[in-house]
Amino acid sequence: MSQNLFFKKESEVTPANLGDAIQQAIEIEIATIPVYLYTYYSINRSPDQDTISGSLVQELVKSGRSVADASAIALDLSAEIMVYANKSGALIMSVVIEEMLHMALSSNLKQALAGLPDLVGKSPSVWPAALPGHEPVFWINKAGFSLKQLETFLKIESPDPLADAGLLQAPIPYKTIGQFYDMIKECIATNDLPYNTHSPQLLPGKGYYAQNNIDTVYYDKDHKPHFTNAEDSGDLLYVYDRDSALHAITCIVDQGEGTKGVPGLNPDGSVDCTAIIPPDFDGKNKKELCHFEKFAQIYCHYKTLSNKFNSLDIGVVDISKYFVTNVPLNPLTADYPANIAPVSDLLNGIYTYLFVMVENCYMKAGSTQFEIFMFGVHKSMIFILNSICGDIMKLTYTTPQGQVCAAMPTFEDYPFGLLSSPKSQLIDLYNTAVAVYPTISYLGPRILDLPDVPLKIRGKF
Amino acid sequence: MAIVNYNSNVSLCGGTPPAPAPAAQGAAAPGTSVTPSVELHVCMGLNACKGHDRNGTNNCAGTGYCATAQQHNCQTLNNCRGQGGCGLYGDAEQQLTPGANECAWQGSCAVPIQAERFSTLGENAGKSVWLQARKLFEQRMVKANRSYGKAPFKCGPPQNWLISVLGSYDSCGNSGDKRCSFGFNDPEVHAKELCEGKKE
Repeated sequence: MSQNLFFKKESEVTPANLGDAIQQAIEIEIATIPVYLYTYYSINRSPDQDTISGSLVQELVKSGRSVADASAIALDLSAEIMVYANKSGALIMSVVIEEMLHMALSSNLKQALAGLPDLVGKSPSVWPAALPGHEPVFWINKAGFSLKQLETFLKIESPDPLADAGLLQAPIPYKTIGQFYDMIKECIATNDLPYNTHSPQLLPGKGYYAQNNIDTVYYDKDHKPHFTNAEDSGDLLYVYDRDSALHAITCIVDQGEGTKGVPGLNPDGSVDCTAIIPPDFDGKNKKELCHFEKFAQIYCHYKTLSNKFNSLDIGVVDISKYFVTNVPLNPLTADYPANIAPVSDLLNGIYTYLFVMVENCYMKAGSTQFEIFMFGVHKSMIFILNSICGDIMKLTYTTPQGQVCAAMPTFEDYPFGLLSSPKSQLIDLYNTAVAVYPTISYLGPRILDLPDVPLKIRGKF
Repeated sequence: MAIVNYNSNVSLCGGTPPAPAPAAQGAAAPGTSVTPSVELHVCMGLNACKGHDRNGTNNCAGTGYCATAQQHNCQTLNNCRGQGGCGLYGDAEQQLTPGANECAWQGSCAVPIQAERFSTLGENAGKSVWLQARKLFEQRMVKANRSYGKAPFKCGPPQNWLISVLGSYDSCGNSGDKRCSFGFNDPEVHAKELCEGKKE
């Protein structure tokens, strides 16, 4: 996303600008994905319990407790950290998965009402980034897991308008994402619009979307798994008329901000943790929290757990030290040294190729679409991208500020050229990357397996 | 329970598959000896025929020690029909068909299937994936009017056993050890519950 100028001085959605408004919605959804993913990868979901427990025992004994007492407390608290780290990761991933669903639902909407969705090159290119059109403007960082980062997440998903006044001049302005979707909804509900039912969409029942996977699962203290997304909370939808269009938007808003009127953020951006109970659910079986409530739950749990540690008289403890990797703020590939930059380029190539493939799914139907999605998108996202994100984080570098950090996925759009296919460029990126980092050699055959799909020529469709 | 020593030259469960024989030019020469392929299946206790486990030594259907399909650790990495696992990824429908995917790359999880793996979606959510695979296998045997024996492990191969046999074993995902990671649980109790068909 290059901070597109969608509109000038327009503040409502009309049939004339509906296509641009839906494209804006798509780009809002896309903007959230790299942010949530970046923070997700900063979390060590299964830290070493013995290390946590051992350091706690030392601190507790120093504070005058017997070894037996210290060990009992340390065992309990270290298990709580283990659960919290894993749960935070699961809940953030459960939101990422639904943001990808929202991108697809909005793309279906655009395909039905205004033509092909534009997905490639729409990730934020300038950091800190802003949600297109959000008022007031608030800045979003690619940052490690922290209370501050959770406050940003809560602003993104807030059901209530944010307090500060500010102005972003270009796109259609809105105060909450739900309010923006309401404007689109209003336009669809009150106008007799033609629906394109002939062009391909991403449809339910083909195995494209799964509400849960092992990454949305966390284990409690008894190692019982908890599933963070409910199966009835939403799925892909075929948009072919007014009702189905409205249904798709309702699904997006219900999963994101949830029901209007539930307690949101305090004026200072914090959360009133006493007010979020009972939680706001997005499915009829009341099993799943909306995104805002998921983040509020992690935020409030962080505070509760911190208070427990800080009541032990072992000094002020930032619990994130037990499970959050030291990561840079808003890194770019250009910041990385020569032994990391090619790996980052490959990672961004895969990340961008995902959007290339999804765009192609809106141009191809039947088995071709199925193969692109199942063998290309799934393989790239679940196996290749996830693997290379883990691999790049094994590398460290010194930031310009002199801090030693793990190299992180930067989630930049890779600028594929037009002289050869994106896949052949991806293979070149792999060859360059594996030369400096042979650890990733196992990915070579899987990259070769990917479908070879072209870039969409802008303005052609 | 005897431990089967891993030998990457014997079969496909964990090792590099043997190089395929060169394609015959035209019709096969008379008298040419061709080693027939065994059925490729995804785990312990899922073999349909005698001698069709990774060592080729099992006596009858359902008693084999390990997969003949190539080991892999994630969704979309299976070579062909019936050679994919499921459980950790995939939609609700895919998660009901471990070892019964229609085509290459349509499996949704690792092979072989460790006993600790549970489904994450659908009717089998929270329940053992291996037991689901075994159920499908037994239904198939009944339909084919075939007898079958007990699997070496009642509930599939435990992860630690797979590691001892294969040298390493991994199924994808970031959520941690499926067997045990915290101070307050008994992995054996969990294994027993999963084995009894209870939800995790």
